[in-house]
Amino acid sequence: MGRLRRSRTHHAQRDVRRASRTRARTRDLDQIQLIDLDPKNRAELEAQPLDYEKPGLAQHYCVECAKYFETDHALKSHWRSKVHKRRCKQLREPVYTIEEAERAAGLGKEGKRPVREAVLDAEMSTTTPT
Amino acid sequence: MRIEKCYFCSTNVYPGHGSAFVRNDAKVFRFCTSKCHKNFRMKRNPRKVRWTKAFRKAAGKEMTVDSTIDFEKRRNVPIRYDRNLVQTTIKAMKRIGEIKARRERAFYKNRMATAKAKQRAHRQKALEKAKASVKLHEPMAVEEDALKVKERIKVPSKSKSSLVQGGGRSMDMEVD
Repeated sequence: MGRLRRSRTHHAQRDVRRASRTRARTRDLDQIQLIDLDPKNRAELEAQPLDYEKPGLAQHYCVECAKYFETDHALKSHWRSKVHKRRCKQLREPVYTIEEAERAAGLGKEGKRPVREAVLDAEMSTTTPT
Repeated sequence: MRIEKCYFCSTNVYPGHGSAFVRNDAKVFRFCTSKCHKNFRMKRNPRKVRWTKAFRKAAGKEMTVDSTIDFEKRRNVPIRYDRNLVQTTIKAMKRIGEIKARRERAFYKNRMATAKAKQRAHRQKALEKAKASVKLHEPMAVEEDALKVKERIKVPSKSKSSLVQGGGRSMDMEVD
């Protein structure tokens, strides 16, 4: 048996099923890390135009957590919170992507698109027993 | 037709099997089973889930750098059918499989050689810790008198019961 969970065991998380529906999907970590945290995109996200559909008219957005807040005070206190800090820690490590899943399976990627003859030659050379 | 790889556990997903999730940025995530799909929905990182291939590779439990792994590739340029090429390829696949199996065994053995010493050290440490926390006491001398059976208590052989008629405690009316 591996390591048993010690942290985050007390949260009153209800209705996990509903929260995991596709329509309730939030941004993934790889999207945030690779797209949102880019300085240009970040500035854009933090200064969004007024949107009456979003909480707090989309004026108080936490980029790391992909979450809208009602007030500036709420956003500030969120930045000091454990949830936000945990999220920041997760974002500091390299993202897991489809490419990594394929690499783990042993599926490499062909580099540049080679010329027709070159492909055949490469095939022949790779298929010879080593 | 392509044999895809599962996003979560990196196993093969054959045509007609598993499911796919297309995110709103057109990235396709393929899953071999509902187990993998559920784990994805829970936003787990496959690198931290011990049964996935990604974990095993990241934790150094399997070969990551080897020439036998480099053959499988996503090739986007189709190759014209050639009978000789197919034959040599099939022959090579078998041979490479053998070499790969041998190298994997060697890798495992090498890994286990260090693991044993590590485990022993860990056990030693745990034992020391256990010894420090547990204090043994000498068993206390038991007095002789305490062991002796005290005088017997007399129990009336016939217990009074209201359920038994004439048991003495019956609620029967006295009849003349």
